[in-house]
Amino acid sequence: MTNPLPANNRQRVFCFMSDHLSKIPNGMRYYTGAAASLRRAVEDCAMSVFDGWSFEEVIMPTVDYFALFERGMGAEAHRAFRFTDSDGSLLALRPDITSSVARAAATLLADRPRPLRLSYAAPVYRQSQKSQTEWRRESTQLGCELIGARSDLADLEMLAIAAEVLQRLGLEESYCITINNVEVFNGIAERLELNEAARARMRALIDTRDGVELQRFMDAYDTTAEERKVFSRLTRLSGKREIIDLARGVITNPRSVAALDALETVWLGIESLGLSKTFEIDLGDLAALDYYTGLVFKIYVDGLGARVGRGGRYDHLTENFGRAEPAIGFVLDLDGLTEVLVRSGRSRLDEHVSRYSVIKGPGSEDIFREAAKRRAAGERIRIELQSSDQD
Amino acid sequence: MLTIAIAKGRLQGEALALLARAGVRASEMALTTRRLAIEDESGEYRFVFVKPADVPVYVEHGIADCGVVGRDVLLESEPDLLLPLELGIGRVRLVVAAQNENLPGDAGILRVATKFPRVAAAHFAAKGIPVEMIQLSGSVELAPQLGLADCIVDLVETGRTLSENGLTIVEEIAESTGRLVVNRASYQLKAAAIARLIDALSEAVKAVKSETQTKQ
Repeated sequence: MTNPLPANNRQRVFCFMSDHLSKIPNGMRYYTGAAASLRRAVEDCAMSVFDGWSFEEVIMPTVDYFALFERGMGAEAHRAFRFTDSDGSLLALRPDITSSVARAAATLLADRPRPLRLSYAAPVYRQSQKSQTEWRRESTQLGCELIGARSDLADLEMLAIAAEVLQRLGLEESYCITINNVEVFNGIAERLELNEAARARMRALIDTRDGVELQRFMDAYDTTAEERKVFSRLTRLSGKREIIDLARGVITNPRSVAALDALETVWLGIESLGLSKTFEIDLGDLAALDYYTGLVFKIYVDGLGARVGRGGRYDHLTENFGRAEPAIGFVLDLDGLTEVLVRSGRSRLDEHVSRYSVIKGPGSEDIFREAAKRRAAGERIRIELQSSDQD
Repeated sequence: MLTIAIAKGRLQGEALALLARAGVRASEMALTTRRLAIEDESGEYRFVFVKPADVPVYVEHGIADCGVVGRDVLLESEPDLLLPLELGIGRVRLVVAAQNENLPGDAGILRVATKFPRVAAAHFAAKGIPVEMIQLSGSVELAPQLGLADCIVDLVETGRTLSENGLTIVEEIAESTGRLVVNRASYQLKAAAIARLIDALSEAVKAVKSETQTKQ
């Protein structure tokens, strides 16, 4: 005997369905209207700056082998969405673009003359978030990579490009780029003969600017009181060129000294470009230490609680793919930049959106002849159609 | 202007007193109102009063540039923040407590009632003890008495509430004091103002410390 579903039950089933269809997964979002067009304008702006410095746009696969990202990113790769291919191999939605670019440089582009200048605008996906502010699981990176050049000039080129993008976005008054060289820390860790765990502990104390704990930590090692005091101050302060002089006063191991010299060279370059107002030296920036090998930088913009970009030198990454060569790159977070510009309401990037001419008429092909004419002249038009709401 | 998020309740009074010592003073009148956001006398700072667990949320988003909150909250939520200063206020201990000094050893699984499920899970995982986590939002001390749990993980100040509910401390997991936390972006973008605040607060902390030492 059949038992037909009562009408109100069917209603409930329908409601459940529509609820499921209307929601979107955590960490995903829509862009519409002004925010969407502003986002497009920010992307175009960055890509045209990259193009202006002769960076060639590349498009990398969205789905790739998980092993690629594990090699490229280490433990960070485990944040990726993973699934299996039909032959059972583990795939991932890319959590990072640099790994793919490094592999392409070592394989597909191996015979190209160096240096390679590559750029991209592409979404990355991360299943698990690291922090509250990083709620997005899909975010778009605007990035460039300069592969096969080791000089300070290559480092400076990256910083100049990042600064130009921010200036062109109208953020020249509100951005700040901090620079550091991870070899300063590596030299100190080497001199103190830290084991893996102690090195991680010291890195964390510096990264969270926990000066008091850091002094206590260094007590246990062969350090002078003066060294401990200055060093804990150094990790707390960021500043201009004087930071390097202050550091040279207490840091004497050759590895760190070489890094301080390199940092100073980059700083002098920044000064000569007239950018020293918006740059800071921050010896306490030690994120992603196992990935970067020299200069590192972070980009902050007023109005957003998180950084909008980061970059650095990664001279060991391409070696994972069979060809060791120096490389440096950076990414800007398109969603973060868009958010800042939407919130500040300062942007003029999307002004054209509100300008269009309406073409209406008695429903005939005349409308489209007129439309084609205006389009050929480059005008923005809108055909007036009757709304289906009025049917 | 710097916005400082302050954990309401246990830490609030001591935090305001320490800030006042560091020269950041909210007027008495403003404090007696029930407003949750007030400015200090100089107009350089704004205080917002929020629940302890919400302090890291406000600061991580950069809505507040910095905050004053107990280490216990930070251990539980593991926010991505800078921790430049320990303030030495609101000292409490995070402990395991049970009706006996020893935890039941061979129960197969240990039932733990707590407001700190992450800290508790990490603690017992490190010891290789499998646990059933029972998350409560208050009066945790009741749980063993009523048979809901074998032990609790909770904050202890004097130990009175524990003993009045027939519990003894089995072991200490961590000590917690008030911390100054700072947003990563604010730290760079408002570097001068934040450095001033950190220096003034660290002087105030030192002064309080030396006073209590001379008293003893």
